[in-house]
Amino acid sequence: MNGTGARTDAGPTSPVRLAPWFLYARSRCLPTTLAVLFATAALAAWSSARLEGLPEFDHRARVVVTFLAPLLAAAAVGTGLLTRSDTLDRTAVRPWWRRRLLHLALLTALAVALLGLAVPGHPEAFGAPAMMRNTLGTVGQAAAGAAVLGARLSWLPMTAYGSAAYLAAPRTPGGPAAVWAYLMQPGPQVAAWVTAGTVYVLGGGLYVWQGARTEA
Amino acid sequence: MSSDKGGGVTVSGLTVRHRRTLALDAVDLDFAPGVHGLLGPNGAGKTSLIRVLATVAAPTAGRVSLLGGDISNHRERTEARRRLGYLPQEFGYYPGFTVREFVAYVAWLKEMPAASVPGAVERVVERVGLADRIDAKVKSLSGGMIRRVGIAQALVNDPALLLLDEPTAGLDPEQRFEFRALLRDVGTASTVIVSTHLVEDVATACTEVTLLDAGRVAYRGTPGELSALGDERRPGQEADPLGDNPIERGYTTVLRSHRQLLPEARR
Repeated sequence: MNGTGARTDAGPTSPVRLAPWFLYARSRCLPTTLAVLFATAALAAWSSARLEGLPEFDHRARVVVTFLAPLLAAAAVGTGLLTRSDTLDRTAVRPWWRRRLLHLALLTALAVALLGLAVPGHPEAFGAPAMMRNTLGTVGQAAAGAAVLGARLSWLPMTAYGSAAYLAAPRTPGGPAAVWAYLMQPGPQVAAWVTAGTVYVLGGGLYVWQGARTEA
Repeated sequence: MSSDKGGGVTVSGLTVRHRRTLALDAVDLDFAPGVHGLLGPNGAGKTSLIRVLATVAAPTAGRVSLLGGDISNHRERTEARRRLGYLPQEFGYYPGFTVREFVAYVAWLKEMPAASVPGAVERVVERVGLADRIDAKVKSLSGGMIRRVGIAQALVNDPALLLLDEPTAGLDPEQRFEFRALLRDVGTASTVIVSTHLVEDVATACTEVTLLDAGRVAYRGTPGELSALGDERRPGQEADPLGDNPIERGYTTVLRSHRQLLPEARR
């Protein structure tokens, strides 16, 4: 053993590889989550542009994108909340809630910003506002799913809800559907924003408070 | 290891209930520095006790004092965690991590000074005999090696209180022998509590043994005293149904007499 004297910047003993932030990021699969978020945003931008360009469609066809892309991004965030060394983590000196809050808030901000940029123009009909609102709500649902079911299945409740809302939502926006089918609202409906925000605060709060459910 | 790190463990009236099951029933115990073996059949309450002492599970009732601090007090619990090492039965690891990275991760959980972590990690990994595998992925190691990684992470902060739940599961006889020597070494300055099914671990490594049964303390004494109870029974008889060696016979004797007394005590 040669102690710490033989460290190099790129080697396995480099200070960066053993830095707490780096270990935490890798333990929570943050590189994978970030890659999925960027890929989802790129796919959303490409598909929305392609849909708008088709002769038989206009910008309202982006409803598919503003529905699916947030689900995919939220699934990436939710499954990334898995804690494999849960028992050891609970012996940590510092309480986890601050780290969980920071983790969720940063990923939410990034997902909302990236997906918001993916659908430019026509903010009144399935543009950036709808995409950002849906991302906020679905991430909240995924966080709640992680707290209640565990991170691996965190995508399941929001996918079931989202599918039901997609099939059952009326074509006319507003009304009670702005609450129970907020994912399908074109954009400016205040009730849909309030619902998404409430879901995020409650779901995210539940996760921050108790963490992801322990999984075998 | 040289100086006594001070403080032990005291529990009084400790009760742990899992839904309708009573895992620990108003247990009173204290552990001073040294190596303490925790014996008992499955479901006796050993893991429940270790989990409460490790501060990962909250007791239903009772008081727990670790290293001079009451764990119901947030600040004192935090201080105790800094000086605590814990190996659960299943500790979970991150597949992409090397041994070095995983042990460094636990050092970070314990808030060790960043500058001391690389050296501490290398020393503890060498101590458990994995120096040549320090940069191997944990997932590539055998079951016994992974167990040793678990022991390394529990020791990385040089704990004043070391809690080990079935630490020798998966170790071969040579590794178990080396591990017992390591326990004795750590136990010279720290309080070590080892939950195990293997009475030979207790016989050779522990200074004191506590036998739990049905959530209660069935016996406390030294391994020698427990062996003596086995010697008193059926001396010289071969194929004794109570066990193959004195400490096994002592273990069985204590358990049976405790089970006879238990229904009366609960009446």
